[in-house]
Amino acid sequence: MWLSSVFLKSLRDYRIAILGWGIGMGLVVVSPMASVAALVTTPAARQQLAAIAASFAWNADAVAVTTIGGYATFKIGIFIFLITVWPILAGSRMLRGEEERGSLDVLLSVPRPRLRVALEKLAAMWTALLAMGVLIGLIAFAGGRQFGADFGLGDALLFGLDLALISAVFGGVALLISQFTEERGPAAGATAGLLLIFIVLDMVHRIAPNTEWISRLSPIYYYNLSKGLIPSYGVNAGAMVLLAVLAIGLGGIAVWLFNWRDVGGTVPLPRWLRLPERQASRVLPVADWSLRSVYARSLRTITMPTFWWTLGIAGFAGWMVYAVQLLETKLSTLLSGNAAFTQLIKNIGGGDASLNAGFLSAMFVFLPLFLMAFAVTQVNGWSADEQDGRLELVLATPQPRLSVLLGRFAALATATIAISVITLLVCAASAAASGLQLNGGNLAAAILGMIPLGLLVAGLGYLAAGWLRTAADTGLLSFLLAFWFFVSFIGPELNLPNATLRLSPFYYYGSPLLNGLQLTSILGVIVVAALALALGALRFVRKDIGV
Amino acid sequence: MTAMIDVQGLSKSYGSKVGITDVSFQVEEGDVFGFLGPNGAGKTTTIRLLMALLHADAGSARIAGLDCWEKSVEIKRFIGYMPGEPALDPSLTGGQILEYFAHLRGGVDQAYLEQLVERFELDTSRKFRQYSTGNKRKVVLIQAFMHRPRLLILDEPTSGLDPLNQQEFDHMVKEARDEGRTVFLSSHVLSEVEKTCNRVGIIRDGSLVRIGDVAEVKAIKRYEITITFANAVPADSFKSLDGVLEVEALNHGHGLRLTMQGTADAVIKAAAHYPVVSLVSYEPSLEDIFLRYYEPDNPPARDTDHVA
Repeated sequence: MWLSSVFLKSLRDYRIAILGWGIGMGLVVVSPMASVAALVTTPAARQQLAAIAASFAWNADAVAVTTIGGYATFKIGIFIFLITVWPILAGSRMLRGEEERGSLDVLLSVPRPRLRVALEKLAAMWTALLAMGVLIGLIAFAGGRQFGADFGLGDALLFGLDLALISAVFGGVALLISQFTEERGPAAGATAGLLLIFIVLDMVHRIAPNTEWISRLSPIYYYNLSKGLIPSYGVNAGAMVLLAVLAIGLGGIAVWLFNWRDVGGTVPLPRWLRLPERQASRVLPVADWSLRSVYARSLRTITMPTFWWTLGIAGFAGWMVYAVQLLETKLSTLLSGNAAFTQLIKNIGGGDASLNAGFLSAMFVFLPLFLMAFAVTQVNGWSADEQDGRLELVLATPQPRLSVLLGRFAALATATIAISVITLLVCAASAAASGLQLNGGNLAAAILGMIPLGLLVAGLGYLAAGWLRTAADTGLLSFLLAFWFFVSFIGPELNLPNATLRLSPFYYYGSPLLNGLQLTSILGVIVVAALALALGALRFVRKDIGV
Repeated sequence: MTAMIDVQGLSKSYGSKVGITDVSFQVEEGDVFGFLGPNGAGKTTTIRLLMALLHADAGSARIAGLDCWEKSVEIKRFIGYMPGEPALDPSLTGGQILEYFAHLRGGVDQAYLEQLVERFELDTSRKFRQYSTGNKRKVVLIQAFMHRPRLLILDEPTSGLDPLNQQEFDHMVKEARDEGRTVFLSSHVLSEVEKTCNRVGIIRDGSLVRIGDVAEVKAIKRYEITITFANAVPADSFKSLDGVLEVEALNHGHGLRLTMQGTADAVIKAAAHYPVVSLVSYEPSLEDIFLRYYEPDNPPARDTDHVA
């Protein structure tokens, strides 16, 4: 039945993503719900939480943040870039990816109009996004019930629908851009760049007065107009319809262009936008440093993704350091003589310390999560290379298998270290610029301490790649990441046993900005990462390649 | 003298699916060995075992006296390999791919590499994904030859090459043979193997069914001749002619379809007695040969030991 049409076959291809992404994102939404009850134990604490959220309004609208749904909506505001990763990848792969693989040629050789094939694929992506939205809505509803939220099933499903719509918009953007690019990678990269621009455009009106017209240029602005988890706020039907129209429009234009252009080619750009004609050549790039070893080649491959992730992670961290100093006076006033507020910071940040460090600690917990997500995306390339046969010729050269694997891992480790070091430098510069006094040792511990966590994900990814195919490997790592996040940030509220909490590497990361690095714990993470890598290497040197 | 390739009792299965079973053969240094078989017969499995990309379930494979699995790195120093379905980083240009593999091999003679690029008229500035199938094959073929390996292992090397480049490939194999290098190439095209190889092994359903000199294997080669006559002719008069295996009358005796093995001299001379309208000779594919020669009710004879 699942192979009876292009639509069903495409939907079948999305089944793991629907479950993995749906459940993973659902858990991300539920995560903050657990902590809100602890944060609003007294009216004073409630007032302070609202004040703090208002100070972070650049991140997301601070609406009813003292309710479970409101707090969750506020907290996941920044996650919009994470939620749209899958639709961006799916949109760029949908047609361009298949053209790259050559599988579209065969599909279009069947007596079925090209337009219909493309529309069925687009419909499958939308259906998958809708299914993810429903899953996220159901999990949010279940989480809400668990923690006593005031929103109902319908509200949660509308929240999921809003997420599905904004995802469909960015999937449509990626699909449209992929009509102009020869490869799917640049289409995904350009869409991710646009996403960042749209996030910033949406932020503008929350920071500067009378700039709402600028934010209206961003689809994220319309996504944020609906807040299904806040019944008193509700959803904005007009905004949702606009997103739906936008998604349909973008997808429609992309499919129309696809129907019109050459398969394997691109939509011709105006002459002034075209790159100069390339002349045929027999020259060999003998001086290219990136071709000298597996490590150098891997490093070159990982450069662009590293650049973008560094921009995101270092930018986020630097901005937090800068912003917290700007808030200091305001928060100090709120703090004066209020023990509840101190407790609040302690709950978020992980311990007693100065106000600024407490705030930063609360926000810095996302940094290792982001770095681990980066590692997941890069490990994905390793298993894909083996699955697609790209390792075969490399392994036909006199390179030991172990060297090939370690070369790839070393490149990923270098990128991980580079992201962390640049983030540290940006934070230090940001602190100096804003005049913020931070414990330099703890700052370094907090940022450099996330390196072992990134390497742990990489090690586990290489280990799993010894048995699993790319989709399953990526799915497993994504699930682990969501599970760890859930265990560490909801587990304490659910009174999960300490043994369960210890399953998450975040437990061992601790709160280094406040307490410094727990050397034993972080060494433990390094040992597990090394063990996973060693077992992965052992498996790789013995396994059949490409089977 | 140690054989360049020595395979003894090699077996490999993928779960319940059999790849190859108890395959044994030797290839001497300087041989150009053709490894023939229909699709799915086990050619690529054998080659991937030789390249240590797969681990054998049983048996041994040695190259230049070294175990293919245990000493794979040492062996790969003097092997040039071309996979049947080459997959390379699509974002690299042909030139980058060649330089990358040159470095992974510890460096090659750049002048010779440039000569190969010229010889195949390869545009090195295009990305791999932008190449046509034939040009992709050229890139992989050049990387197999560029370090002047002692042993070339080529999996269906001419598939996708145009006739001119096939000819260039034939020249390169001949040069390699003249320099005393060994070539092991798989193919499912009998005529290609006839042209370039001096020894042949035939594999079917994972088992080696025949091995020997090309001339001997040629003996199994059958072909068909269809002759159309202006008048009806007696089919029986062709049955006993030299080289004729079967005769089938067509179009009420106005045509004959003859299944042949060996020379067609007697048939041509006999046909000359009648007014011939047309004569078409058809060389069956290897699959056809296998279907007939090794048909199920005539199980393959394991005559691999009848030729030294």
